[in-house]
Amino acid sequence: MTDPGHCITCGDVAEVARVVEVAGDTATVTLPQGGRERVGIELVAPVAPGDLLLCHAGIALERLSA
Amino acid sequence: MKFVDEFRSGELAAKLSRELATLVEPGRPRKLMEVCGGHTHTIYKHGLEDLVPPEIDFVHGPGCPVCVIPMGRVDDAIALAEQPEVILTTFGDMMRVPGGRGSLLEAKARGADVRMVYSPLDALDLARRNPAREVVFFAIGFETTAPATAVTLLRARAEDVRNFSVFCNHVTIGPPLKAILDSPGLQLDGFIAPGHVSTVIGTRPYDFIVRDYGKPVVVTAFEPLDILHATTMLLRQLREGRCEVENQYTRVVRRDGNPRALAALAETMELRDTFEWRGLGWIKASALKLRPELARWDAEHRFELPGARIDDPKACQCGEVLVGAIKPWECRVFGTACTPERPIGTCMVSSEGACAAYYNYGRRLVRRRDGVPA
Repeated sequence: MTDPGHCITCGDVAEVARVVEVAGDTATVTLPQGGRERVGIELVAPVAPGDLLLCHAGIALERLSA
Repeated sequence: MKFVDEFRSGELAAKLSRELATLVEPGRPRKLMEVCGGHTHTIYKHGLEDLVPPEIDFVHGPGCPVCVIPMGRVDDAIALAEQPEVILTTFGDMMRVPGGRGSLLEAKARGADVRMVYSPLDALDLARRNPAREVVFFAIGFETTAPATAVTLLRARAEDVRNFSVFCNHVTIGPPLKAILDSPGLQLDGFIAPGHVSTVIGTRPYDFIVRDYGKPVVVTAFEPLDILHATTMLLRQLREGRCEVENQYTRVVRRDGNPRALAALAETMELRDTFEWRGLGWIKASALKLRPELARWDAEHRFELPGARIDDPKACQCGEVLVGAIKPWECRVFGTACTPERPIGTCMVSSEGACAAYYNYGRRLVRRRDGVPA
């Protein structure tokens, strides 16, 4: 889930994604470039559909302030 | 996309550019280190050097994880991958980093089972689906990437997945900054600090830069306007004689970071006594290893590794690039023997590496040492 011009090893390519569904410790999010991804939400839970999350390497790192 | 489009406005960029021109003192150079490779990438992708006054010199820092991994650790990963029962997983760019015995991609071509993943959680899934194999995740990255490894380890422990382990090479951002600040001869006026690392660790870990070294710090994000805005904030501090840690990335970064991410890291990892950084040498307490109670998931405990130290190729000047001592184009093999297609040094491998960023976006700026345009 990263811009092809970026290297995922760099933590600073984390992306903002919107939650569409939550199931246990995993959320399905929509990505800025399109498509969906499943991310672990242990570090930011609880989250709800519509929330914007900063995601990187398969997990959500933080919830964005509106 | 909210939080993206509004940070790429050309009109606002022009406004910030005009503001920057009023904040510099004509003829007085200001060297600002952008710590993170993501910032370097943005600066060259969006041509920000052309939007700042000539007095401002962006100095590229050590915040590219691929670029600082020593060759010996790559050889250790290759040794792991060559064990017949092992599936070695890692992020894509890590597969191209040359070690003393070539890269993981070359090991794969020789028959090793090396697979690219986007998340350590994918590696854990692979372990669940291949119970007869040993799945090892070659973990690299700063404090932004380390929480994903921590969450994966906690899930592996909770589910008692025994054929999964981590070859941990996670590093921390504070110690290399201190090493750079302690290095003789390098004059910096301020730091553009990494936004997403700070999402995890907060802004407090940069306080020592202000307190002990008298250099201002601005934590910032990765869109072009973020970096221009952070540059104005740094220049304003310099002009007003202030020296503070400021947070430009308030939409995500909190003063104390993400306590749950820090707790996950503390539960799974601890500091190594010392770790080798490419270009910076051995730095005390600068990297993470798995805690002893997670030894079952620690590849360094479960497998024999060569653990050799390998000198960098003599022609490569990545070490000097990584500490900002020279610009990428000043390296004697930049763009000739060393290109993204055939990298000699790590800075040319990752797209966030300073050399690759210059090569991909800044060819017109390429100059030889004597200043003649290439």
